[in-house]
Amino acid sequence: MSLQNLGALTWLLPLAGIIVALYLLRMRRRDVKVPATFLWPERTEEIRANSLFQKLRFSWLMVLQLLALGLVVFALAKPQTQQRGLTGEVTVLVVDASASMGATDIEPSRFEEAKRLAKEAAMSAKPGDRVALIEAGPNPRVVFSLSNDPRSQIGKIEGMERSDAEVDIGEALRLAAALVGTEESARIVLLSDGVFEPVKDFSRGKASLVYKAIGNNDHNLAISALGVAETGQGRQVYVSVRNPSGALLSGTLNLFADGKVIDSEKITVASGKTWGKTLSAPAGANVIEAKLDAKDLLAADNYAVALANPGAALRVLLIGKGDFFLEKALSLDPRVTLDRADEVPVEERGSGAGGTYDVVVFDGVPSIPVKARGVLELGAIGPESPVIANGSVRSPNFVSAEQSKLMEGVDLEGVFIDNAQRVKPKANGQVLANGSAGPLVVVSRGDQRRVYLAFSPLQSDFPLNVSFPIFIANALDYLGGESGTGLLAIRAGQTFNVAASKSGTLKAPSGVSSEVASNGATAAVRSARQVGKYNLNIDGKQRPVYATLRSDRESSIAPEVDLELGGGSVKAVDSPMRFADFWRPLLVLCLLVLTAEWWMFARKS
Amino acid sequence: MTTLLDPREFRVLEGLRFAPRKSFSGKIRGERLTQKKGISIEFSDYRDYTEGDDLRHLDWNVLARLETPIMKTYRDEEDLAIHLLLDSSPSMTFGDPPKSETASKLATALGYMALSGGDALYPRRIGIKESPLPALRGRSSFVRLNALLNSPTGDPAEGASLSGALRGFANSSARTGLVVLLSDAMDPEILTAIRAIGGRGHELFLVQILSDVEIDPDLEGDLRLLDAESSSKVEITANSFALKAYRENLKKHNDAVRDATLRVGGRYAFTNSADSVEKTIKEVLKREGWVR
Repeated sequence: MSLQNLGALTWLLPLAGIIVALYLLRMRRRDVKVPATFLWPERTEEIRANSLFQKLRFSWLMVLQLLALGLVVFALAKPQTQQRGLTGEVTVLVVDASASMGATDIEPSRFEEAKRLAKEAAMSAKPGDRVALIEAGPNPRVVFSLSNDPRSQIGKIEGMERSDAEVDIGEALRLAAALVGTEESARIVLLSDGVFEPVKDFSRGKASLVYKAIGNNDHNLAISALGVAETGQGRQVYVSVRNPSGALLSGTLNLFADGKVIDSEKITVASGKTWGKTLSAPAGANVIEAKLDAKDLLAADNYAVALANPGAALRVLLIGKGDFFLEKALSLDPRVTLDRADEVPVEERGSGAGGTYDVVVFDGVPSIPVKARGVLELGAIGPESPVIANGSVRSPNFVSAEQSKLMEGVDLEGVFIDNAQRVKPKANGQVLANGSAGPLVVVSRGDQRRVYLAFSPLQSDFPLNVSFPIFIANALDYLGGESGTGLLAIRAGQTFNVAASKSGTLKAPSGVSSEVASNGATAAVRSARQVGKYNLNIDGKQRPVYATLRSDRESSIAPEVDLELGGGSVKAVDSPMRFADFWRPLLVLCLLVLTAEWWMFARKS
Repeated sequence: MTTLLDPREFRVLEGLRFAPRKSFSGKIRGERLTQKKGISIEFSDYRDYTEGDDLRHLDWNVLARLETPIMKTYRDEEDLAIHLLLDSSPSMTFGDPPKSETASKLATALGYMALSGGDALYPRRIGIKESPLPALRGRSSFVRLNALLNSPTGDPAEGASLSGALRGFANSSARTGLVVLLSDAMDPEILTAIRAIGGRGHELFLVQILSDVEIDPDLEGDLRLLDAESSSKVEITANSFALKAYRENLKKHNDAVRDATLRVGGRYAFTNSADSVEKTIKEVLKREGWVR
């Protein structure tokens, strides 16, 4: 036991002295004449004193008052006892819900073990303790805020689900620090296997950080690559399997093209090595799947998919000074892999095929010739633009729009444009939207598709409009070439948008369907958390969605003992110690003593 | 003449006489039969004639028939000495009505009874400075008795406690007889005094008179109790514990007084100061055979 406020004990002697001094005061009694005094017992109870001093006599009242004083002073000294347990007075549990937590080295899984520990922590919380829980999934969320309601908390812990995705533990930890970082006695408990990238920009504030490592084995084989490429020998499928564990592992790799087996091979991969293979892809195959049948601990990385359609995946390069709204809108498209740069890399400049990127976006900077299939010019004009610059105009109004795929679901009415370029369309330019001072949206077809918007989004309130992400999605469809098959390949746990006039359903590989709500134009899909093939039913159309985990970090499931968090190292602990405050029972005891003292006083007076 | 008793109470007393268990020798012939053989008309026994006997008491019929002189003996009739001791100490002033008032009424009644029975009554108020009266005899002396009991009490005898006064009486040359003590017996040394009276050969009739002040005191709070007869002081917190202890002590004390009285061959009665004289005479003294 330790005392947090030792100075409080110095009050004990003076206060006890005052109580004793009060008992030294002699009582002034009322004189009453009686026939005889010898029958009366010499029985005095000094419960009131209003006279000068007398010899101190034993009194149970004084003993009880001194005892009560002792208890109060001791409680003010804030005694603490050391106990073992995850929770402290204020605790935020951060549960890692990433793909690696699906490892089964601890039955039934690391994630279930983390949930069990979280439930134990919630149940072991003492009266007055407060516990919160944050699920560190693809989007960190507070499962329950600081409270002391074990029954409700356990119900919410039961409802937690893991996703086969990489997660940003740093974001969850920052959220936890925001909740309790200002409290001295707070504790952030991370229940994880430590399989995540070092967290740099994190400060735990005044809270302490406890890392409880979950997991004890690293046996895992992972499909590290699967793709389809056009080569001189035709269309080729390449696949690789990595063994990040410390043991020799083997399994059987099966390759499917549109659901039909095209290859099956037993493989053995040494520790830390990668096995790879290339084979010809069947002509016309759209979906290439790889399934690894191995007795390893993580199943999520034993499945991969590659879509052969060129529009099914888009590599987008954003050139500009930085626009959060634009980046967000581009990232919402499940097909997009986005890179950002201040200027176009040299190897991407020029004309013709062979570029790395499918689409280049020029945001507010003059465009230059690039090798990409499509170019999106936002308030930017270049030599190959479908328009000719003719000055600028302030506050133009939207006038009309043509019926086109690009402008479907896009409403520029009411959009405030601060400054726009006054342009004239070139011969190959097709005006899709007009403003009061000239064309606002112009497109051109040819070897390279181009979409021109007469203003930069940040020069308007267009990014705040619901039409903005729709416009970007339509532009990507136009520039990248729509996937005729309607196939989608996403990372598991990724939230993506699809065009939807009304709500639909998403059927998981397990057969469970969930609703996908539409805002009238688009629907955000968030429930594809596990790897596998989903069926998205939107507007009466079935659309296959393939969710995969492609993460070398998540596949390296060896639990980490030391974590790099916020520039410091945090070691895993088996059973952390906690200092439990002891003052509450002391005050209850004091209350009981005072009750006894009052009862005794009432009886004697 | 004003008396403490009303005519109805006098009627109750008519014909009643003290009935002591012991027999005491009298100074003069009275109306009370004694164990001593005497010359009254009450036949007692026969005995052989001895020289010098009064021939008037020779049973001539027996002599004629048996030729043996046999003397008839008779029980003597003498007066009885009744010491009527009335406790007039300060403690007797407590109660409602005061114990002293009840005791005086009872003393008047018992004194009247003694005088009516032809006994020698020695009334004495103890606990105060007062010279004892000589023996009163006959109903005609009731006036003096009444005057004594009606007169205001003098100053309390300094330093003299009830027990001290009683012991003083026991050690005096007072004629042995019946001692009727009317007192609250509120003295820690009363037992010694009772034994002293009994040891002197007196037969003690003790009527303990207590009031509600002693029986059920109405005290509360932190008090300093001042003894009415001494300088003794006791500090108490008058709570349920203290009152309970007091009642237990009072009961023990009363029991001890009764036991001591009975042990010396006396009689003991307890009465409340609120009880009437008539009730005490009828329900206590007559029922228990103190008077007949």
